[in-house]
Amino acid sequence: MAARARIEVMAQAIPASEASPQPARSPYLIIFLAWLIPGAGHLLLARRGRGAIVLGTVLLTFVVGLLMHGPMFQPHGGDLLSTLIQYGGFVGDLCSGILYLLAVWLGYNAPDVAAFSPDYGQKFLVAAGLLNILAIVDAYEIATKQKD
Amino acid sequence: MYLQLNHFEMSLLFAFVSSVMLGLVTKRTDRERVRYGAYCFACFMAATFGIGWAMHFLHG
Repeated sequence: MAARARIEVMAQAIPASEASPQPARSPYLIIFLAWLIPGAGHLLLARRGRGAIVLGTVLLTFVVGLLMHGPMFQPHGGDLLSTLIQYGGFVGDLCSGILYLLAVWLGYNAPDVAAFSPDYGQKFLVAAGLLNILAIVDAYEIATKQKD
Repeated sequence: MYLQLNHFEMSLLFAFVSSVMLGLVTKRTDRERVRYGAYCFACFMAATFGIGWAMHFLHG
């Protein structure tokens, strides 16, 4: 009787994430899909509303960056600060997934000119990727049951 | 097609998309998300106006 009560207490003490270690879908698949198509990770996890908002937000940010003729960062070096900025910006651009790949594939190549609008556009393109990173982390946490 | 926005419009747009995403990923209920998104947007705007006025007075 006492042993059974102890087992019940222990079962209640185990967090939900440890009690069911197997997520419904592979978190790696979720990460890959969430990166490739913004919002797809949430859609796959049956969070349609959140997926649609993620897609809309990342798409809006990316398209505004394109319409401002923001140049993409290129992964090339120089001094330490330039290398950090260029590679960091390139990773940020890349995190937009298929939006970045499509833009490059379709030949988007805005020149890096000294004007404030393209400069802001460049930052919007990176911001789209960074917003997608937030969405990827959120989808991962849902897939691994760390979050509802 | 070329989109030309001024600094304020761009900061407004950036604050909006960032607030939507921050509200979406940080809280648990829809009500909390909306409130946190609105709070983030208000903070962005307060920083925009605060720094704007600070630059105005510092530059003279």
